[in-house]
Amino acid sequence: MDGKIIVVTSGKGGVGKTTATASLGAALALEGNKVAVVDMDIGLRNLDVVMGLENRIVFNVVDAVKGNCKLKQAAIKDRRVENLYLIPASQSDNKDVLNPEEMVKFGKMLRRHFDIVLIDCPAGIERGFENSVVSADEALVICTPEVSAVRDADRVIGLLYARSITPKLIVNRIIPQMVENGDMLSHTDMVDVLSIELIGLVEMDDHVVISTNTGMPLVLQKNSKAGEAFRRIAMRLNGNTDVPIQVPQSQKSIFKKIRNKLGIGG
Amino acid sequence: MHHFPRGPLLAVFRSPACSETMKKSKAESSEVFEKSAVRFKGVGNRLRISLDPEVSPEVLCQELDRLLSSLNHPLDKARVFIDTGETDDKNLIGEIAAYLKKHYGVSSAGPPETITPGTKLLETQVSETQTKDTEESVRRREMDSSSWHRQHSEVLMLSGRVRSGQKVAARNHLVILGDVNPGAEVMAGGDILIIGSLLGTAIAGQPDNEAAIVLALDFRPTQVQIGSFVAAGPPSSPGKIIEFAHVEQENIVVEKYLEANPFSRLPWPVAR
Repeated sequence: MDGKIIVVTSGKGGVGKTTATASLGAALALEGNKVAVVDMDIGLRNLDVVMGLENRIVFNVVDAVKGNCKLKQAAIKDRRVENLYLIPASQSDNKDVLNPEEMVKFGKMLRRHFDIVLIDCPAGIERGFENSVVSADEALVICTPEVSAVRDADRVIGLLYARSITPKLIVNRIIPQMVENGDMLSHTDMVDVLSIELIGLVEMDDHVVISTNTGMPLVLQKNSKAGEAFRRIAMRLNGNTDVPIQVPQSQKSIFKKIRNKLGIGG
Repeated sequence: MHHFPRGPLLAVFRSPACSETMKKSKAESSEVFEKSAVRFKGVGNRLRISLDPEVSPEVLCQELDRLLSSLNHPLDKARVFIDTGETDDKNLIGEIAAYLKKHYGVSSAGPPETITPGTKLLETQVSETQTKDTEESVRRREMDSSSWHRQHSEVLMLSGRVRSGQKVAARNHLVILGDVNPGAEVMAGGDILIIGSLLGTAIAGQPDNEAAIVLALDFRPTQVQIGSFVAAGPPSSPGKIIEFAHVEQENIVVEKYLEANPFSRLPWPVAR
């Protein structure tokens, strides 16, 4: 088996890297891939909480990298989603316990055991970032429609290009109503500045909060717009490039559209 | 930009051997020149020979022989000006001119043509200079240091996008075919031209060239610096308009490039 490693990164914190990693991991596993999600935010682990697996952690990524345990022991199997494994971060260490050379070796081992490995990169561009991207084949940059997030994403894209990784963009937390009113950056503005391939648009969704708190995978929730968006992104990642990128629309505008089509009102 | 003194036509004599010696002496010390009784400078097929009037004609001739043999440059048909400095010793000039005509076959030799107003040209030269007048003025313009003919304008030309956190610095001018994102910094000793959007910080004319400009097809910088002046990014104009920033009365001013057309009034192309 020779899988690929995809790093999920953003530069800025709090834009939804961890949610995206958990959701995409579950969605890719539902598509039939053997998926591992690796939390590289050592010292501030939270991917396990989002996935509802915190009570099953025995070994963590530091143990696996250092050889204190086998990869199989560190990889926690998700019970709701088949073929999904979590390799949690260590909560007691800091980012300096790992170095890039070790991570390259660890990446090779991961590729042998899994089809797709998603790495949840910590915020920032220091050692934790380096450890996360050093073994990656592809990268997903998560960015919210905020000037500060775009700035940091731009920096990270530059760093990824410097490592010969061509990143793809996910715009997260779009509020269609605000975009229409001109109060929020539109995804076209963001693509103009960042100039990388767009792979998905995710709408702001209350289900994310529920899913994070309950540990229930977002993609398994019905009527979750964000969950559907992540499933479509997973399909595109899986090589199904025909899946169209849907631009989130506000309810109001859909009615408007229908009205316009019927020729009623203005 | 530095101006060479206008006036006598001066340029490095374009013979390989000669330019070699010129370079060397320039590099080593100017004293070598100061002490030697004979000095060469030239342009095209004209050679200007400066003589030390204190030295006897025989010694000067010897010195000429020595230098010309080392230059290994035939003076056949060359036109030579002989300059004796302020003394303007006509006898000496005549003697050396005769010597050069006899031994080196130069086509004409005489006192230097000066462009300084008020100095009259010698009668023997007038007819020749008149016919060459237009040619001469063109040549003089070309010799002007600001003309592009003899200037190499140093430009760093890049293509691509300068992203946040990236820094591009050029010793002289900088041209970027692409965009400069917010958080990026472009710096230059001279002008900065962005053939694309400028959203980041542009620092032109470093350290003290206040004649530098910053131009972009889509001018929305975070900050602009020219020389020692700093300006926060101007409120962006609606639409994409070609604008440029320059220093005007100790202020950085942004204008529409096509409307202001700042270089349209220059009489002929000039190197920047």
